Parts: sequence; structure tokens; C-alpha cells
Amino acid sequence: MAEIDAAGRSAREVNAAIRKLIAESSTDITVLNPAARHNLAVAILHGVHIRIAGSAGYYCGGLGDGASIEIEGSAGWGLAESMLSGTVVVHGNAGSGAAAALRNGSVIVYGDAAARLGVSMKGGEVIVAGNCGYMAGFMAQKGTLIVCGDAGDAFADSMYATVCYVGGKIASLGTDAVLSALDPAEIERLEASLSAHLPPAVRRSKPAAADFKKVIAGRKLWNFDKREWRTWQEAL
Amino acid sequence: MAELQTSGIFAPGVIEDIQAKAESGLYSIRGFGTLRERRWATFDDLTFLPCSLTRIPLEGYREKCSTKTVLGTRFAKKPIELDIPIMITGMSWGALSFNAKVALAKGAASAGSSNTTGDGGMLRAERDNSRTLIYEVLPSRYGINIHHMREADAIELTIGQGAKPGTGGLLLGSKVSDRIAEQRDLPIGVDQRSPARHPDFLGPDDMIIKVEELREATDWQVPIFIKMGASRVYDDVKLAAKAGADVIVVDGMEGGTGASPAIFQEHTGIPTLAAVCEARLALEDIGLYGEVQLIIAGGIRDGVDAAKAMALGADACYIGTASLIALNCNKPIYEDDYRAIGAAPHACHHCHTGRCPVGITTQDPELMNRLDIDQGAERVRNLLRAMTLEIQMLARSCGKSNIHHLEPEDLAALTLEASAVCGIPLAGTRKVFGK
Repeated sequence: MAEIDAAGRSAREVNAAIRKLIAESSTDITVLNPAARHNLAVAILHGVHIRIAGSAGYYCGGLGDGASIEIEGSAGWGLAESMLSGTVVVHGNAGSGAAAALRNGSVIVYGDAAARLGVSMKGGEVIVAGNCGYMAGFMAQKGTLIVCGDAGDAFADSMYATVCYVGGKIASLGTDAVLSALDPAEIERLEASLSAHLPPAVRRSKPAAADFKKVIAGRKLWNFDKREWRTWQEAL
Repeated sequence: MAELQTSGIFAPGVIEDIQAKAESGLYSIRGFGTLRERRWATFDDLTFLPCSLTRIPLEGYREKCSTKTVLGTRFAKKPIELDIPIMITGMSWGALSFNAKVALAKGAASAGSSNTTGDGGMLRAERDNSRTLIYEVLPSRYGINIHHMREADAIELTIGQGAKPGTGGLLLGSKVSDRIAEQRDLPIGVDQRSPARHPDFLGPDDMIIKVEELREATDWQVPIFIKMGASRVYDDVKLAAKAGADVIVVDGMEGGTGASPAIFQEHTGIPTLAAVCEARLALEDIGLYGEVQLIIAGGIRDGVDAAKAMALGADACYIGTASLIALNCNKPIYEDDYRAIGAAPHACHHCHTGRCPVGITTQDPELMNRLDIDQGAERVRNLLRAMTLEIQMLARSCGKSNIHHLEPEDLAALTLEASAVCGIPLAGTRKVFGK
């Protein structure tokens, strides 16, 4: 396993060191003393495992394709934004806009996520073991968004085809967000996903898959209709 | 019988607009850009002051006058080098047809210029036919792909556009075909309303980190542009420069659009002439004029507009609508099809319908095939070349051996407003009005 000590080095230097190790065929890289630097492990395009031994700032794992990134602390805004494939796991909490514009792959947060979780996501899977802030799933287009705890206000506002699951309470549904029933096959898939991505102890502390609420788009905002004027007036 | 009089307040167009809203319950949506009669100061309110005795002209058709344009010299390892200062602005595949996007790429490449992706990601054929491709990162992030970004020659972080600053794009369901839906990860046929804000940053301080991310993602090789619709230009340009932009693009209110609420096109933002003046002043005041390059966009029609923008401080100009007109937009052909959508040649702003009679702003294969890619590319190339020749002629007449040497002193204002906006004397006086 290769190690990079980030102490006293800029994000640019740390990322250059990561790329150099990848070019030298390292597949398992640890970044020590990350000190919540922004832009760590941005645009990693190889199937390597990168362990951030602490917290990361904005955009950690952003614009990636194929890497497995593990953040042992918390992460700032825009975690794994626009990722094409790969897995990003955060042991702590995630800041606003986690998994923003995610195209595919998995983003897993063991703690809580702040506002606009999964905003404009276009695919992939987002799992938050704790709670999430307001406007999670705003304008989300495809993929699956799972919150095991409570969801904040305006949840799943103005969505297209993303499917959301919430294990706890939803403070309020966003415009055009509607509750929907889970079928048995869906419950099975949800359980499989939670079991696969969360540590057993964390999974056990969360609600059973059958008890999750499912939220999808009511499709009233997909095409303008004067009969739905009030919905459009209130659309964020 | 006395002639019947219409109201100046409730003019026929106003009556039609009210009755259309009464029918639909929706604001009016259309394409093209502002249709208002321009009563504000424009480039037409300026005139060049060619050489006579105080300055010596270059031979108009013979002596060399460089048009080489270099953008992104501030931080990027590989600034872009263009043969000419007229570039094709970002217009999405979705708003435009495949044939239009590829024709623009080929035309720009053959003229030694650049083209830009747009709010729908990159087309492979677009990259393959471009010489210099600018990849737009927009709030919607439709089709965003790191591999495409790394193939680009510059990245443009778009905050807004001139036709509709402060709001996101629109693509009505008639244009969200199966291919466009797949490219954008949307359901087929939705009235797609793009976000106005980026999903992962909000203000100018966060944007500093975003710009650094884009540089990391592209190994600090290519220039980072920041594009904005012209509203509070003086302050916004300073913030964009502080965020680390190599190049700032300011898009004035005369800018075009494939679709947006008509009220935005008519009543938001400031004119392109005012925008270039504010942008230059902002860069001068923070000591970055010349170090951060400035691109001006919004209703640039010909080499005259471009030359005036450059004299006032722009390093280059984007064209959008003019390049579509080169592709036959509003040309009197297929006239029955114009009439079928309630338009007419020279009076068509129906890009939003997806029924473009000349195959430019449509996803209908039959309509799109009316635009031949190679013929279209040739017309775009010819337009870019002709505009460049116009700029050179004006520059030579002002004694410049390089078009980038055009300066405010080469201009006089024809109206009080233009004098006040541009800070240059009114013709016939030695006064700058408002000073």
C-alpha cells in the first residue's frame, strides 16, 4: 500500500502524487493528514482504492470514473459530483450537494448529509445512513436516493425519474413529490443494497426495508398544464 | 372615413399577448432573442475615426494586419490560439440539430476558430470536427463527462446567459426526442427546465474552489472561462477574475436563445455595448485588464460590431444567432413551413417549437436533413472570414497592424447616451457626457 503525506502540500501536489502512484501501478493509496483540503482525488479515472485518512473539503472524488474512495472523516460540499462510475464512502458526514449531478456509481455516507443531497443526480445510487437536510433530490433525474434517517424540507422537489426511499420522517415533501407503495421485489432490492453498502452494525440500527417510504415524481411538472397552475406557481 | 386608431398602450401585440395568456395560463415562451426596437445605446451609436493627418493608415487591401487571437494566458499551460477573433458560442445539441452542431464545428475549424458545446454535453462528431472546442459546464450538467472535458481545449463555467440571466434553460418536450432524452438522462418528451444555480456551489467564494477543481480535472492545461449574462457586470467581472478565470465571457441582453420566457429576453440584463464598457472598467480597476482576456457576446452581427467591441476592450467576440443565420435561419425557403408554425422568413423566432423549417433548431430527422452539413459549414466559414476581413479593413484604416490594437480613441460617439456609456467624446464636441 502506498502512502502520501499531505501535510504541508497543496491539493495540486497531493493529486499529482496520487496520479504518479497510479502511473506506477499502485492500486491502494492512502492520503495521510488531509486536513479537509478541497479538491482531493478529483478526476481519478482508474479502478484504484484511495483512502483519505481524515476529513476532505469540497469536491472530494468529483468528476471521477472508476475509483473506490474512502473518506475516514467527513466531506465538504459537492462530494463525488458528476462521478461517472466508482464508489465513494464517507465514514462521517457530508456537506451540501453530495452526489450532485451524479451520473453513475455509488455514494455512501455513514453519517448525515446536508442540504441538496443528490441534487440533479442523473443515475447511480446514493445512500445516507443518517439524516439529510432540505431539498434532497431537487431536480433529480434518474438513479436511487436512499436516506435511512429523517429527510428535511422540500424533499424530492421537481424530480424527473429518480426513486427515493426514506427510513425516518420527512419534514415536508417538495413540489410534485408523491408517496408511492413499495412492492415486494423493491423491498428485497432495497434491503440488498443497504446490506451491501452499510456496515452490519449500522444497517442493524436502521429501519427494516419494508418500513421505508418511497417518494417519486407526481409528473405534474413534466409538461405544463394550466389545470396544474398552483403546482407550477409554487414550483421552486 | 377617418383612419381607425390603435392604442399606444394596448397596442395590437399587447392585446394578443394578454389574450394568449388568458387562453393558456402560461407566460409566453419563444426563441431567438429580444425583438424590441433598440432605443438604448448600441454599437450603431459609435463611428470609427480613421486616419487622416493625425494618424497614418495602412494600405486597406494589402498591408498585413494580424488577426491572431490568444486566450487564456493567465494560468493555463496551453492557452488557445485562434486565427481570428470571432468564435462560435455555446448552443446545445437539443436546442440545435445534430447537423447544425456539426456544421458549426466544421465551419469554425476551417476558419481557424473555435466552437462551444452547450447545455447538453458534447457530441462525438462535434469534437471530431472541431479544431478548438470549448466545453461548457452549466448548472444543469446534462451529459457531463470527465473524459469529454479532458478532450476539450478550454472549459467554460457558465453562470448565465445574456438572453435570460438569472434563470435556467428551457427545452420544450417537442425537442426532447429519444436521443436527446438519453443524452441528458431525462424522460422523453418532458418540458425540460434547467436549473439556474449550479448544484455544487452557490456564491463567488465557493466558485474559487470550483475553478480549482476544474483545473485539477484538466491538469491545469487548458484555460478556464467564466461566462455570465450581463447584469451587474462591473461587480460580477471582478468576482469572476478573483475566482481565477483565465477568460471572462460577458453576454449582453441582445443574446439569443433556443427557448425562454419572452419577458426575460425583453426585460432583463443590460445591452452588450454597456456590458463591454463595464467589463473593461472592472478589469482595469483591479489591474487585470490584458491579463484576463475578455470575450463579448450578445447580438454581434458583423465585423463592425465586433471591431467596435474590440476597440472598447474585448479580446474576442462570440457569435450565435449570426452563425445560425449563416446556416439559413430565417431564409425565404420552405415558406409554407414557416407559415405552418405562424412565422415567416425574416420574422421567425419559433426555435422553441422544434419545427424549424430550415433544419437548424429541430430534432425532426426530415427537417434536419434540409441542412446539409458541408454546405452549412462552408457558409459559416465564409461568414467568419468575411467578418474578419471587415475588422481588418477598419483596423487598417485606423492605422493598426494588429486588430487587437484597436482602442477607444479610434471611436467617436454619435449620441449622448453612447458617449456617457462608453466614456468617449460625442462627435462634434470634445466632451465625454456624464463625466
